[in-house]
Amino acid sequence: MNRRTFLKALSAVPVLGGLGAFLAPVLRYLKPNLEPGLGVPQGKVPPDLAEGDLPKGEPLPIATLEELREPWSSKFFVFTQKYPQYTPELAKAATVPGVAIKLPWKLSFPGYKAGKEPTDIVVFSRICPHLGCIFNYVPNWREVTAGYGGYVPPEERRHGLMACPCHLSIYDPADREVPGRVLSGPAPRPPRYFTYEIRDGVIVVTGAEPGGIA
Amino acid sequence: MWDRLREWFRERKEKLDLFDETQVDRQDNPLYLLGQIVYFAWIAVVVSGILLMIWYEPTTHGAYNSILRIQHEVPLGWLIRGVHKYGADMLILAITLRIYRMYFLGEYKRPNELSWMILFGSLVLAMISGLTGYLLIWNQRAFWAAKVVLTVAVYLDELPLIGQTRFGSAIAFAFLGGPAEGQGTLTRFYAIHFGISALLLVAAEIYFYFTRRRRFVLSPTALVILALMLVVTSYVFPAEMGRRADPNRTPLPILSDWYFLALYQYVKYTPPLWAGLGPGLLIAYGMLVPFLDRSKGRRPSERPFFTVVGIMALTYFLVFTALIMFNIAVIGRDPHVVLLVTAATLGLGLVLEFRYRRRRKLAEAAAPAPAPRAAPARATVG
Ligand code: FES
Repeated sequence: MNRRTFLKALSAVPVLGGLGAFLAPVLRYLKPNLEPGLGVPQGKVPPDLAEGDLPKGEPLPIATLEELREPWSSKFFVFTQKYPQYTPELAKAATVPGVAIKLPWKLSFPGYKAGKEPTDIVVFSRICPHLGCIFNYVPNWREVTAGYGGYVPPEERRHGLMACPCHLSIYDPADREVPGRVLSGPAPRPPRYFTYEIRDGVIVVTGAEPGGIA
Repeated sequence: MWDRLREWFRERKEKLDLFDETQVDRQDNPLYLLGQIVYFAWIAVVVSGILLMIWYEPTTHGAYNSILRIQHEVPLGWLIRGVHKYGADMLILAITLRIYRMYFLGEYKRPNELSWMILFGSLVLAMISGLTGYLLIWNQRAFWAAKVVLTVAVYLDELPLIGQTRFGSAIAFAFLGGPAEGQGTLTRFYAIHFGISALLLVAAEIYFYFTRRRRFVLSPTALVILALMLVVTSYVFPAEMGRRADPNRTPLPILSDWYFLALYQYVKYTPPLWAGLGPGLLIAYGMLVPFLDRSKGRRPSERPFFTVVGIMALTYFLVFTALIMFNIAVIGRDPHVVLLVTAATLGLGLVLEFRYRRRRKLAEAAAPAPAPRAAPARATVG
C-alpha cells in the first residue's frame, strides 16, 4: 500500500464515523418502543419497564377440574399479555391462545409447581414455536394424519396430538420426558407452557413461559 | 481501482435497458414485449392504488370493511380493485418471465450485468410490495402470511457471531411495529407498500430523463389489449376477499399469493433458520449470476451448467406450488428426496458442462486455421 492510498483510506474514517452517527438515530426511529417515561401523556403512569420489554398478564381462571375429567379432553382459552409500548395507553395488549389438556397419566410438567409434583393436566400456549401460527389440539390422531400432510404416529403415540396448520409441525402433549415433544415437522422445540395453579378446583393460569415473538 | 469501477459503471449505464424499450425491432417476438408489459402493469397498479387510497381505511377494525365497501358498494370500486390486484399479478408474472428470458438467453452477460441486477432487485421489491399490500386487506391469509414471514427473521439470531447482535429480532420488531402483529404492522406495511412504488417511480422517471427514451414503445393496439385484459379479468373473476383476520385462529391450510406458494412448501421442509437463509442465497445467486457465469456463449446449449440450474429452479417452483395446493407434505421423507434430486441435478449439470467444454476444445484444435480470425469477430458480436 503506498502513501497516497493509505491517506485516502484514512480520510474514510471520519466519513464512516459521520455516517454511523447519522444512521444510529435513523434506525432508532424505526423501533416501536420509546424509553420509559418519554412522552408520557398527562395523568398517565409510565409502565414498569424494570424488566425490559417483558410482557405481563393477569391470572386467568380457565376451567374447572370438573370440565376436564375425561382423559384427552381439552379446553381452549385466550390469555392476554401487556407489552410496554408507545401507544396512548403506553401498553399494548397481545393475546396468547392456549389449551389445557387432561392426560390419562401423570407426568412432571414445568408449568405446575415448577415440575416438582406430577400432574395430569398440561397447559400449552398455542403459538407455534416454529413461525408463530396458532396450532390446534386434535383429540383424534386420525384427523392429524388426514389433514396435516400424512404423518402417521407410532403405535404408542396414537392419541390426542397437537398439530400446526402452517407447516405441519406435530407435537405430543403427553410425552413423559418432554411434554410437547416435536414428533414431526420443522418446529425447533416444544411449544411454550403456561404456569398454572389449582385454586378450589379451578385451573388458574398465572403466567407464560418467557420467550420472544416466536 | 476506483477509476476501473467508474469505467465499469459508465459502460453498463449506457447499455441499461429496464423496460425492453430498446428492443423495438424485436417486438414480433412476444418475449421482447415483457419489459413493456411490466411498465404498463406498473403504471396501472400505481394509478388504481392511488384511487383505492381514497376509500381505504388503514386500521385493523376498518380495513376489511372498507374493502368490502370498495368491492360491493362504491361505483366502479370492483374495477379499480380488480385492476390493482390483477395488474400486480401481471406485473410479477411479466418480471418473472422476463428474468427467465434473460437467464436462459444469457442476456445478463456483459454489458447487461447492471440491467439484470436492477431487474432482479425489482422482482424482490415487487414481491415485498405484494406481501405488504396483501396484508392491507386484513384477511386470514394475509395475516398469517405476514406473521410467518416476519417470524422467519427472528431465527437469523441463531447465526453464529452476527446473531449475537439480535438483529433478526430487531428486523421483525421494526416491521411488526410492536411485539405482535397489529395496528402498528398495518400502518408500517401501508407505508412500505406505498413507498416502494413511489420511490421507484421517481427513479424510473430520472432514468427516462437521462436516457431520453420513450416510456411506451408498445403499439396503441397492444396497450388497449392489455388494458382490456385487466378489465375483463376483474369483471369475470372479482378479486377475492378471503375471511376477516382472526389472530386466534389459523386456517388449515394457509396459502398465500401464488408467487409465494413454492416458498411456503420449502419452509415446511427446512429448519427455520434455513427458511430465511435459503431465499437469501437464492437472491444472492440471482444477483451474482452475471459474475459467476464466465462462459463465452449466450445460447443455453453453450453453458449447460447454468441452463440446468435454471431448469431445476423452474421445476422446483412448479412442483412445490402443486404440492402445497394439494396439501401434500410428508416431512419425514420429502426433504431427503429434494436434497438427492438437487445434488444429482447439479452433478448432471457439471458433467454436461465439462463434456461441452472438452468437445469445444477438441473442435478448436481440429480447425486451427480460421480460428484467429473468427475469434475477434465473435467478440464484437458478443
Ligand atoms: S408455524 Fe407452526 S409449523 Fe410453522
